[in-house]
Parts: sequence; C-alpha cells; structure tokens
Amino acid sequence: MSRLFDKNAIEDIDREKDQWQKEIYQPAEGEEKVFETLSGIPVEPLYTPAHTAGMDYLNDLGFPGQEPYVRGVYPTMYRGRTWTLRQLAGFGPAEETNKRYKFLLKEGATGINGVFDYPTLRGFDSTDPFARADAGRGGVAIDTIEDMRILFEGIPIDKISTSLVTCQPICNISVQSMYFASAEMRNVPLDKLTGTSQNDFLMETVITVAPELLPPRFSFKLSCDAIEYCTKHVPRWNPISFAGYNYRESGCSAAQEVAFVIANATACSEELILRGLEVDSFAPRLSFFLSAHNDFFEEIAKYRAARRIWFHIMKERFGAKDPRSLRLRFHVQTAGVALTAQQPLNNISRAAYHALSAVLGGAQSVHIDGYDEALCTPTELSSLTALRTNQILQLETRATNTIDPLGGSYFVETLTNKVEEETLRLLDEIDGMGGIVKAAATGWIHKEISNSAYEYQQAIESGKMPIVGVNCYQMEEEELPVDLFQVPETLQIQEQKLKRIKNERNGSHVREALDAVARCCEQDGNLMEVIVESVKSRVTQGEISQTLKGSYGTWEPPLF
Amino acid sequence: MSRGRKKRILIAKPGLDGHDRGVKVVARALRNAGMEVIYAGLHQTPLQIVSAAIDEDVDAIGLSILSGAHNTIFPKIMSFLKDRGASDILVFGGGTIPKKDLENLKSLGIGEIFTTGTDTRAIIDYLNTTLER
Repeated sequence: MSRLFDKNAIEDIDREKDQWQKEIYQPAEGEEKVFETLSGIPVEPLYTPAHTAGMDYLNDLGFPGQEPYVRGVYPTMYRGRTWTLRQLAGFGPAEETNKRYKFLLKEGATGINGVFDYPTLRGFDSTDPFARADAGRGGVAIDTIEDMRILFEGIPIDKISTSLVTCQPICNISVQSMYFASAEMRNVPLDKLTGTSQNDFLMETVITVAPELLPPRFSFKLSCDAIEYCTKHVPRWNPISFAGYNYRESGCSAAQEVAFVIANATACSEELILRGLEVDSFAPRLSFFLSAHNDFFEEIAKYRAARRIWFHIMKERFGAKDPRSLRLRFHVQTAGVALTAQQPLNNISRAAYHALSAVLGGAQSVHIDGYDEALCTPTELSSLTALRTNQILQLETRATNTIDPLGGSYFVETLTNKVEEETLRLLDEIDGMGGIVKAAATGWIHKEISNSAYEYQQAIESGKMPIVGVNCYQMEEEELPVDLFQVPETLQIQEQKLKRIKNERNGSHVREALDAVARCCEQDGNLMEVIVESVKSRVTQGEISQTLKGSYGTWEPPLF
Repeated sequence: MSRGRKKRILIAKPGLDGHDRGVKVVARALRNAGMEVIYAGLHQTPLQIVSAAIDEDVDAIGLSILSGAHNTIFPKIMSFLKDRGASDILVFGGGTIPKKDLENLKSLGIGEIFTTGTDTRAIIDYLNTTLER
C-alpha cells in the first residue's frame, strides 16, 4: 500500500476545505456560471489532497517507464530524447511535395509526416471521374509506385522515420505497399525502415467516408493484414496509428476519442491473436494518434488516462509480458477544428497552448498546425512558423526539465481518474455491442459522433463556449493578413504520367498482378503479401481498389 | 414557393473530401428550424446532385466543399441546372472558400456562400428570407 495521504490529515483538510468553501469562497452574486471541461466533466473551485486520497501511488501512478506508465512510457522521457518534430506536409504532385519535405528537413524537422490527397486516401486514381476535381488537394497524389519513388527521391529513408498518413486501409494496402516495394528497389532492406502508417478502418467507415466503401469488416481485415505483414517483415515499422485525432476532429469528446482508439486496438489485437500471432509480437508496434484540443488540463488528463487504460487491457485482457506492449505511445496533432478562419494569426497562440498540453501529457511526437489551416493548405511561411513554435517549446520553455510535471496535481490526478472512468464506461458499452467493428457497422459510432458535433456547434452559437474572433471580439471588415496557398496543377501532370505508364507497362504482368489480388481475396490470404509484389508491375492504386471492391462488394454508411 | 409548404432543401457534399462534420451540423440545424432536409450524403457527382434536386422537387441546394475544389464543382452544378431547365432552384454553399473567390461564384448565380465560422442561424435566416420572396 502506498496511499498518498494520512487518513487523519485528510479528515482535517476536508473539514477545513468545507469551511473555506462556505465562508471564504464567494461566487459572484447572481452569476450562474457553469464550470466544466470541454467534454462536460464538472470542475470544482478547488482540489485538495482529499480528492486523491483514495489513490495508491505505486499502483495508480508508479514511475516513468514502469507500470502503469501513467507518468510516462520511458524512464527518461524528454531528458533523454525530446519528442519528434513531425510536421505534416503533402499537396499536388509528388515532385512538389518532395521539395517541401526537403525544405522542412533542412529547417530542422526530425521526421517526415506525409499526407495524401483525397483521391489517394479513398482509393481512386487521379483521373477517376469521382476524383478529378480533388487531385492534389489535401495531400499529395499517388497513383503508381513511380509517384512514390519521386516522393522520396533524395531522402534517406533508411535513416529518417517516415509517417505515411494512409488514413483508410484501402489506401494503406496499396500506398504502404508502394513505399515498401520502392524501398526494396532502392536496395533498402525492409528491416531498416522505421515509420508509421495510419491504416485505421474507422477512418474509412465512419470518419471520412467515400463512394463505393468497403464493408467495415473487410476494411478491418485490410488493416489487420498490414499489421500482420509488418510484424513478419518490417519489424521496426508501426503498422497502424489509431486515429483518435480524426475522431475528435469530426466531433468526439475526449473520452470518446480514447474509448474508440482503445476499442479499435483491442479488436485488432483479438483478430491478430486469432490469426495465430503472439500478443508480444505485434503489440509493441501498435501506435496511437491523439488530438490536443482547447481544454488544456483535460487534454493532459486524457493522455495520462489513456496510458493507464491501455496498460491494464494489455496486461490483464491479453496477458502481454513485454513492457513495450504495455506502453501507449502516441503522436499528437494540435486540433485543426479549434482553429478559426477569423483573425488567423490568433491560431499561432492557440496551437502553442495545444502543443504544450501534449508535451505536459508525455507525447512521443508533435505536429503543430499552421495558422492558416482554417483557410487553405499551409503555406511555406505558416509551416515554418509551426515548426519554430515546436522548437521554441522544446528549447526555450524548459517544460522538458522534469518528467510528468503535473503528476500529483490534485486537479490533474482527479481529472485523469474522471476521464478514465468515462472511457471505461464507453468501452464496456462497446464490448456489450460485440466490439468496435459491429458498433461501426450498425451506425452507433456515426450517431455518437454526430450528436457530439452538433452539441459543440450549439455551444458556440449560444455563446456558452467563447471562441475569440468567432462569437466574441469579432472584427468587422477584417483584412486577411495572410497569403493563401495555391495547390499546384496536379490533374494534368498525373494524367500524362498515367497515360505514359499504361503504354509502357507490360499488360500481361498487370493482369496477372490483379488476378493475384482477386485470388488472394477469394482464398482469404494476406493481401499485403500479394500487393507489395503487384505494385512493382505499376498497377495503379485505383486498379487495386477496384479489384478489392469487385471481391468484397461495397457498403452504404448510415447517415445521421 | 407557395406559402404553407415546408421548405425543401437538398444538402450534399460533392467531391471526395470526406470532412462532413460541418455539412451534417447544417443539415440538422435546418431540420430543427422546420425545414425538410434531404441529405444526399457525401461524394455525389454534380450530375447526381442536380438529378436528385429535380426528382425531389427541392427549393434549394446546399453544397459543402472544404477541399478547395469549389471553382470546379460549383460551375458544373450551375450549368447542369441550366441544361435541365431548373435554374429556379436556389443554390447556396459553404466551406473553406477564400473571400477572393466569392465574387466569381456569385456571378454564376450562386445565392450565398457561407465561409468557415458561420453561425447556422445565419443560414436559416438567409433561406427563410430568400425563399419567401
């Protein structure tokens, strides 16, 4: 037992606090202000040792790098190695994005974070009638392995870690395969590659859906195929990054964000164990992607609670033994949804607070949003300012001097417990429905998120949630002080490339490659094993996706 | 439109951009304001949207575009409406659309564009006023 406080002392403190609250603390007359977190957890005027009296230090908090990992996943945390500066970038054709990567690396970024355009994410070629208007928008266009080769030309992929924001499994199964195949063609062995892909089936079936969607269980299967493939062949790669960030962006509360990523990770673990893998062979490489939203302390509590919940699930539900399986490692992106189009330079301050909460919560890598992201794809100036904000946090604030500096704060520990409680309640509910794949297929998650998003908007419109520049301190006839990014011409370039490639490539090799994919679907084999080979004959991403849809059929998501 | 009939609004999100948080919030707000909302969902092509609008006999079409593809998609919708003799249907839109593009879009006959940060009550007021004329 390592109770935090002596029982008699707690009684004294509680009594004195009651007296303070009755006699000294005087809320303003007639003002019925509600104090609660962004996700609706009530907040008291003051927290004291009495709030954490039930906690047991060694069991509930422990030490950094030790169970239950609440205070940090590594023993030295930022004193040993600071978080990775991983700024997101991607737009237009691969040639243009390659230049932006080189620019960011030259300016001190320590990892690549590549985002793909809407057609690539949703499994379409740039020239598809569904895709043409969106080619090069929201990310870089990848149609064949040639684009992938161009994207990383001159970048030492054996030395630098690369995050591929292949959100949807239907994108990931081709695009990640192209990355691996092009590494092989550059004579970089797969076991030298380090990085992360997103590969989250909820992204495909709930968060950002597309026409002709794969049914949830097949999207989930593709996601697990990639994890299984990497476990066997690319041991230093994180084959999935459960995208809580995006769930949050589409409307979730803090607890929903954590509950949905953990339910998803639980389902993947169950599936991989069914496939015959040992939990400790894949769990160390499961990674998480979380948001940093406006409620500073709630976010810090969220990261700490997520670590404790994951530790217990891995240890108790799955019997994991390798300490690396028990650690919830996560990347943070500052909340895009919290940025405003009005007075956009204010977003620099917002994102800096967001990032500080990520760091006080023990993030492994951090992306800070550009100030112009409510208006356009970030310009070079806004990307650079975001990178510099991250560097200022790392080098000037000294927030990194000690580990988990808010550990032991009566408020933060209480909030950590509250977020944990609500998350566990949601996890039970999802378990009761038969798990996350079913909860997605029935539309339950769609509805939960849609309801939360509507409440958030209502809170802004009623003025209950002040947003500077939007519902208070607005400015009339505001002159935009920023230049807007123009996406470079993409469709024509991709159209020409595809035309040339389709002329040059060997037609019978292409047919064989696609037949092999279809056969693998029929035989329920691991598709990544096949697709890593297929992409070498320059089949397009769209051709692979169409083959998968031909085998698995398509699904209409529920609308709320 | 005839008085007494509920306003019928088709809400759609063309293109492949899946950011549908805003469009769903707007659809729900219009419904709560007493309008009949046909939510066509995501990723309709311009032709599908125009056909649905005519089949459903709507008073207005609302389009959400956050990807930057507005200068391609809006003109297509307007020209399909014209081809089908349905230019009387009001078209309005919203999303991440720079101010400098607004004039050009309005010159195509688009009634109003609501940019990032718009209050849903502004959209409701606009539809109530414009469709009563």
